[in-house]
Amino acid sequence: MKNKKWPLIILIVGIIGLVIAFIIGQLLPNMRTSTSNIEVDITDPALIKKGAYIARTADCVACHTTLDGETYAGGLPMLTPLGAIYSTNITPDKDTGIGNYSFDDFKNAVKHGVRRDNKALYPAMPYPSYQLMPDEDVAAMYAFFMSDVKPVQQANLKNELPPVANWRWPLAYWQVLFDRKREFVPETDDALLTRGQYLIEGPGHCGSCHTSRGIGFQEVALSNADSNKYLSGAVIDGWRAKSIRGEHRGLGTWTVAELNDFFKTGRTDTTAAFGAMAEVVEHSTQYMTDDDINAMSSYLKTLSPAPNKEETLPNKADTTTQKLLDGNYDSRGATLYAEYCQVCHRADGQGVARIFPALDGNSAVYSKNADSVLQITLSGGRMPKTPYDRMAFTMPEFSNLSDADVAEVVNYVRNSWTNQAPKIDVNDVVKMRAFLAKKPKTSTDIAPDLSIDAAEKGANQ
Amino acid sequence: MTHLLFILPRATVYAVLGVISISTVSGCSNPAPAERNAPEFNTVTADDANEDIGTYILPQDTAILYEPNAEEIFYGKRLLNETKRLLPEHVGAQMNCNSCHISQGKVPLGDPYINSYNTYPRVMPRAGKEIDLEARINGCFQRSMNGKPLDRESPEMQAMMAYMKWLSQNTPKEHKVDIKNAGAVDTSLTPDPIRGEQIYQAQCATCHGDNGEGLKDSRGDIVFPPLWGDESFNIGAGMARTYKAAAFIKYNMPMGIQTKGLWGHGNVLSDQDAVDVAHFFTHQPRPDFAGKVNDWPSGKKPKDARY
Repeated sequence: MKNKKWPLIILIVGIIGLVIAFIIGQLLPNMRTSTSNIEVDITDPALIKKGAYIARTADCVACHTTLDGETYAGGLPMLTPLGAIYSTNITPDKDTGIGNYSFDDFKNAVKHGVRRDNKALYPAMPYPSYQLMPDEDVAAMYAFFMSDVKPVQQANLKNELPPVANWRWPLAYWQVLFDRKREFVPETDDALLTRGQYLIEGPGHCGSCHTSRGIGFQEVALSNADSNKYLSGAVIDGWRAKSIRGEHRGLGTWTVAELNDFFKTGRTDTTAAFGAMAEVVEHSTQYMTDDDINAMSSYLKTLSPAPNKEETLPNKADTTTQKLLDGNYDSRGATLYAEYCQVCHRADGQGVARIFPALDGNSAVYSKNADSVLQITLSGGRMPKTPYDRMAFTMPEFSNLSDADVAEVVNYVRNSWTNQAPKIDVNDVVKMRAFLAKKPKTSTDIAPDLSIDAAEKGANQ
Repeated sequence: MTHLLFILPRATVYAVLGVISISTVSGCSNPAPAERNAPEFNTVTADDANEDIGTYILPQDTAILYEPNAEEIFYGKRLLNETKRLLPEHVGAQMNCNSCHISQGKVPLGDPYINSYNTYPRVMPRAGKEIDLEARINGCFQRSMNGKPLDRESPEMQAMMAYMKWLSQNTPKEHKVDIKNAGAVDTSLTPDPIRGEQIYQAQCATCHGDNGEGLKDSRGDIVFPPLWGDESFNIGAGMARTYKAAAFIKYNMPMGIQTKGLWGHGNVLSDQDAVDVAHFFTHQPRPDFAGKVNDWPSGKKPKDARY
């Protein structure tokens, strides 16, 4: 008899608990927001200019603009496992954008993930990183967005999350758990390294892609001081955002000069940015000052090897080049490489400087996770466009190859010359192909407009 | 803050998030692995181009292994790809056969070899007589590669023949794969060499060099052939002719700039752009061709011939 009451009691307690949680969830964002005494003169040209630069370092445009859309008008889908979340219109349009935002509204959204109506923002917006930005810098960005960005009337798209998952109030709890209030803490008193650390941790929000995420989709570390899992690599949008710590497969083989070249031009003599990183260079890092770029590169090179990763890989002699030169195709992968890849990436896997990236010794190729190699093989992609090279080259898609052959050739390039990496199998290719069928194209997924008309209109500038 | 965590302990939050993430990962089965999506073309008879009589499926090199003379075919393929490195005595220019024959002669409009085995022997206007495939290949050695002909019976010549025979995939001799070797370009256009030079500097010079000198890889093997100068093709080459070069460039150059196509190539220039840039580089200094005196013996010399 007694037992029959229990389900009812549990249900009642559950409902009461949910109601309490809901009410508290409504109140929580208020604890994050703050008002400031800063008077922002949004007409100050120097402040607007400073804000434009800071917006570049924070790469706002990358997510808040679609391929064919108006700048900062939003609408780019972030594909979560539960459904798409769309980025919002952050132009100063009063009806559909942020035209009615006060500086405090703006600051609370950027730094604390709370929008004007006091609801929590999805952490697709990297406010856990942006909260390190000083209010003065956010004020400059505010002046830029309010005065220098063209207002665009474009309503925000509704998120496609299923019921319950689309409730916003639980996000307030996410913020309590994973985005505690914190300040920027320099690791050293070296001005250069401190600047670099700040750009990487704060506006650059490198960890959004390069740090793996925990069970609540939170970055497992927000700084090097948190743990050496910070920036130790993750998978996002089907790309392996490689470890950018000090081990061999991370940035162990890179020099500061190479990193500087990479951030500024999107290429080095042996590699090129592709996928999501090509967009970062195209929209953000190429615009940064040489000093800021050098600061980021210098700081990254101070990071210790990631935990449980080989500091250095064993030496491996190159036997591949001679076999290819001799026509000794000793595997199906070799035959495929000779037919489809060798014309550009060459028998020695060294490519052609600043035109075709090297495959041998390229840490993006021999990373443990093969997703980046797989994705670019199946869908192609192009280098970022910058003023430093006349042309941005494109890798064509090899989607007409069978999945089995893609696996063969990917395994071949990842384990030829001096490269060494774990093997993939055909199911990895099947999964990537299925993923790519749903993934929206971004600007560096498609070929550049090289037509003469486009050049005359300045499209390549 | 602590009292909030007491109401909703961390463990509960983790558990809820965990259930959500697990439920999204499971429950979707993967499709079967994709097979190769090979390009297919109709085959037609030589007399009636409208009558489709079969299908040609472009083969992948992995299929060569099933041929009794696989070694010979692979050798032929390598010679066509790396002619300069493998046959330095016969190649004067920094050129390979496949500098112009896109993706091993497998791409329509990119000077493919797909029909070569069945097309020859044929009467060529330039020679004014019937030419067989060996003679045609040797024509390329002497003109486009500014070198010396191969012995017709040599293993090298036979290997290249074997590759082209394999590529024909046993298409009957009197049939033809319904593709074009070169695309159309408006030959009535007047070239503007000044504009041609501007286009060259913007879209060609990164690879072919500011002075047309080409570009080699780190081993010293040619990647992008020189477009003029002593190491380029001579004036007897088809590529030295404005409109032939323009048709090639329009559909095949630059490479590595599209996401489609085996070389990610072509289709960025208008006819006028292609004619302008072709006129610019074809008319730069290049080696002479001694055999030119025998060309077009019966007249009808094309207007863009260089001699």
